[in-house]
Amino acid sequence: MSSVPDPFNVAGLQNAPILLRTEHISKSFGAVTALKDVSIQLRKGEVLALVGDNGAGKSTFIKVLCGFHPPDSGTIEWEGKPLHLKSPLDARQHGIETVYQDLALVNDLTVYHNMFLGREKIIRFAGVVPFTDNGGMKRQTRDHLNRLGINLPSVSSLVRQLSGGQRQSIAVARSMQTAPKLLIMDEPLAALGVREGGLVLDLIQNLRRQRETSIILIVHNYNQVFEVCDRINFLHTGEIVLDRSTADTTEEELIRIVKSGLGRSAVAQAIASAGGL
Amino acid sequence: MVAKEGNIAAGAPPKPAAGVFAGLGGILLRLPEASIAVVAIAISIIFEVINQNYFSGLVQVLAASTALYGLIAIGEAMLMITGEIDLSAAKVYSTTPFIAYYLTQANMPYGLALVLALVGAGLIGSVNGMLTVLFGVPSLIATLGMLFFLDGVTLSVSHSEPVTTPLAEPFNTFLGRGQQQPIGGAAQYAAFIWLVLFVILLTIVLKRTRFGTYTISVGSNLLAAREIGIRTHRVKIANFVIMSLLAGFAGITESIISGSTDPSAGDNTLTLYGIAAAVIGGTSLFGGSGTLIGAAIGAYVIAALLAGLPLIGAQATESNIILGMAIVGAILLNILLNKLRNQGRS
Repeated sequence: MSSVPDPFNVAGLQNAPILLRTEHISKSFGAVTALKDVSIQLRKGEVLALVGDNGAGKSTFIKVLCGFHPPDSGTIEWEGKPLHLKSPLDARQHGIETVYQDLALVNDLTVYHNMFLGREKIIRFAGVVPFTDNGGMKRQTRDHLNRLGINLPSVSSLVRQLSGGQRQSIAVARSMQTAPKLLIMDEPLAALGVREGGLVLDLIQNLRRQRETSIILIVHNYNQVFEVCDRINFLHTGEIVLDRSTADTTEEELIRIVKSGLGRSAVAQAIASAGGL
Repeated sequence: MVAKEGNIAAGAPPKPAAGVFAGLGGILLRLPEASIAVVAIAISIIFEVINQNYFSGLVQVLAASTALYGLIAIGEAMLMITGEIDLSAAKVYSTTPFIAYYLTQANMPYGLALVLALVGAGLIGSVNGMLTVLFGVPSLIATLGMLFFLDGVTLSVSHSEPVTTPLAEPFNTFLGRGQQQPIGGAAQYAAFIWLVLFVILLTIVLKRTRFGTYTISVGSNLLAAREIGIRTHRVKIANFVIMSLLAGFAGITESIISGSTDPSAGDNTLTLYGIAAAVIGGTSLFGGSGTLIGAAIGAYVIAALLAGLPLIGAQATESNIILGMAIVGAILLNILLNKLRNQGRS
């Protein structure tokens, strides 16, 4: 790697501390097994793409990571210590931010209310009565959006008045408000046009260059994100069937593997025929 | 962090034409309360023109009934903003003063009895709320069950007989009628003043507190609220409790004003007036949006129609025809204005 320019310091990533490790996470809903023994590992600053078909368990897995679903079994280790998330708010307090596929925006609230939802700024009237600091939240929202290059007519608009791209950008901006340690994005490009999607990808590249925030991207199609991620994990019917670093592989090779079917044995065969890992 | 020249807002819808929000029409479109306020003023002027005794003769009645329907209406409005509804409000209204009465029978001071009666009302609300959010019983059904249950309890315990309210100062003055006033007498503004205070208080809660923000959130997008980490169950249950406290409070003031604690006082039409007032005041039945000022003005409109129509010559039976049409008409007006608002926005 040393001869190739390495703007993202991919080589240095190997020495970065491990931020998150999951061991044998399983989760069922009634008779449906959503996750089987999912073990992943994520280093500080690493960008991991989690790829798979509908129903592969991607969304369930991140909902375990962000405290929405408790896992049936398995452990989560966070900065070297066991982590038991009680709620999404608990996860956020640990520095785990999530951009949900549905964006988790409240249409009947303003942009700035959404930006601070769950951790409103409070001022105490007469030192006692806790009011929300609407002025302060407005100001900070404006500043934050400006920094990210997101322009809105007004941060006091109701979210229901905004376009799909604007809504997506608010959800992303919200997750980046507190410099999270882990940023989880569920299908961040799904609702966006090429231009708006490009902005989200730029944003990820920027974070990747700094190597401070780890990112888990959930995508349908890895070729949308091949450029911006360090590693790709394929989920298939609740299991991780392939874990590859983008530095060691090419898009063509991945296409070959995926086309050959994604059962564990099929992947093993494909890898064997491709000349091993 | 991202210093991009482009911005995501590039694909934003064009700004509304400036003319749409200009002038009086603009106020009407911007403020959800405005349309019901216009209706309220129009009705008042029409009644006053037809019969000059409308205001001078009815002011106390109007204040008392607006307070009564309004207290129920603002409770329903809060609850409807969370996406729920309470059909048992009128029965909480009749049960609460009974709790106070029986506590004084057990030699408890009236003031303490009133406080405990309100605690009882709050408990009823929390049961409604828990049935709804913990067990998934739709609030329409949970509170329908509560309606019959409370009705049965109050009627059987009291043997369907009204009792005399254990009147005592200072509660007389502060909760409904002056010390010197005869029962059913003039100074019935206390309840109205309480309504105004509660409207101000809850409007501040809704607009300027965490709890208010979460109340809107759970009604507008329950999943998003959960994903963000809001304790949605607590927020909904708390609003059921607020509803019941307001209904119980209204029941206590009414028992003091009339001097009688009547097990059949809480007619179910009272609940329906409250719901109608909230809806014509601009609160959405589907959750997420609503206004307490609008609900209170809605309560006045209903009080005005009920009291004013007979005054201008309508038979009681005919009044309901007008009331029914007026409720639907006010909501049609709201739907129309909402359409105009959305056109202005998109």
